[in-house]
Amino acid sequence: MKGFAKKYIAAVRRSRRMQYILLLLPGMVFLAIFFMVPFFLTALYSVNMVNRLKQIVFTPSLEWYLYALGMEGLLTIFLRSIGYGLATTLFCVILGYPVAYYIAVKCRYKDFVLLLFMVPLWVSFLLRTYALMGILSSSGLLNEILLGLGIIKEPLEILRTHTAIFIGMVYNYLLFMVLPLYACLEKLDVSLLEAASTLGAGKISTFLRVILPLSLPGMVAGSLLVFIPATGEFIIPDLMGGTQTYMIGNVIYSVFLYARNWSLGSAISLLFLAFILAIILVYLKYARIKEVVF
Amino acid sequence: MKIFDKILKAFTILILIFMYLPIVTMIGFSFNSSKSLGRFTGFSLRWYYQLFENRVIWTAFYNSLTSAAVVTIISVVLALLIANAVVRYEYRGGSLIDAFIYIPIVIPEITESLSLLILFGVAGITRGFWTVVLGHATFGATFAIVVLRARIAGFRKSVEEAARTLGANEIQTFFRITLPILMPGVIAAALLAFTLSFDDFIKTRFTTGPGFTTLPLIIYSSAKRGGVAPDINALSAFSFGVSLIFSAVRLFTLRRGRYE
Repeated sequence: MKGFAKKYIAAVRRSRRMQYILLLLPGMVFLAIFFMVPFFLTALYSVNMVNRLKQIVFTPSLEWYLYALGMEGLLTIFLRSIGYGLATTLFCVILGYPVAYYIAVKCRYKDFVLLLFMVPLWVSFLLRTYALMGILSSSGLLNEILLGLGIIKEPLEILRTHTAIFIGMVYNYLLFMVLPLYACLEKLDVSLLEAASTLGAGKISTFLRVILPLSLPGMVAGSLLVFIPATGEFIIPDLMGGTQTYMIGNVIYSVFLYARNWSLGSAISLLFLAFILAIILVYLKYARIKEVVF
Repeated sequence: MKIFDKILKAFTILILIFMYLPIVTMIGFSFNSSKSLGRFTGFSLRWYYQLFENRVIWTAFYNSLTSAAVVTIISVVLALLIANAVVRYEYRGGSLIDAFIYIPIVIPEITESLSLLILFGVAGITRGFWTVVLGHATFGATFAIVVLRARIAGFRKSVEEAARTLGANEIQTFFRITLPILMPGVIAAALLAFTLSFDDFIKTRFTTGPGFTTLPLIIYSSAKRGGVAPDINALSAFSFGVSLIFSAVRLFTLRRGRYE
């Protein structure tokens, strides 16, 4: 037995392929069990291949998909989620680009300012959302200040509107746009800008033809980091929103945890996933970037 | 073009204020003597007393802390192994493995969480501490891989080879040469895995059982009830303090990373 173990260790030492497989094995097995298998089961549930006794039966049917597609208002909620996701991404680019550019190119204390931006990120997402609710609520700070200054007579009802969701999303996701953009802009070679200016390019054309294209990978990575969680967001519409801001995350959440209909929940979830993946693929193709740098 | 730079600077400061305003307001009102979040009526520490006496919050805090610690250990160990394999050994199928690693990052969390609920349900596992830990470790490990991979890619193999030439075996080389050099990356990966796990709501909600409550679950139910809960304000002041300490650690590791 001992001789076998020694031989085995010697074989591993000699073979690089063996080392590679051994290094990969624990993590891959882990991801297979807790990532791939669960999705496989979800797929089985969605096509009705698991019965009440949790046994697999070979009578696949698309009834839950058809049911989901026929659900009243589900399409509206789908489109609303995508709309929120797109609007949030767009605004994060508009607000985040100047910030990332300033920190990466113009700022003298890069590390420090970047850290200032990252400190709120370490305060719980829920606490940040909760704090924002406190400010925007009808008796919150914003309304008290506006009432006190006499700008408004009645408190503004911001919570439970599209505006509230929008503010909540941009507030929570802005940094996921700033960080990849910063990483990209920081690597920008200053000599390229000098070259552009020597060759007669003005500031605007330097920006549009040199800086912007070079920061595109960062923008693509940032867009995905914002768009995906924003579209699948649950906490913000649940806490800050109302019935008119219901998103797909809320639907999946209540179908699973309240109605406890796993088959319907799986079908909706997989439809949503297919939608998201399709958008990502189209986007990556359009942006002409094969590998996204995370 | 000086004016343009100044506008950029002002804009950045404005965004920074936007980021801090809710948190700072909340900390301010955690010292308020009344329950109001809009009007300051006087200085008081009563919400802090209430927070420290709240057993439910402390149990949840303990649960969050222990589960996040275990998640961090699992994530970093798995990530060290995988990142080493991916960066150092180039074999066919590498891009397939890449895809396998990055998929958990790009898909919406809620879809992943419900599939874990199904897994534990079908397997008949009672949900609690370990189901939450295993659920969190999937994103913990994948994010840790991303961080460590960049670090290992910039690593000079010649240092390891020198150690081997001087008579160290693989294990000695790993613990005395490789690991110390990778340490800033390991710390960064551990911090990321820890904060992601500590802060997580959706996955915890789907993978936890009746006996196991974490801090985000408590904050959620408090916020959901709608009423003002000033002890939650006190909690966020507390958590802001902790995040400042984390930031100091981060700044320190960044500086050290620069030197090498």
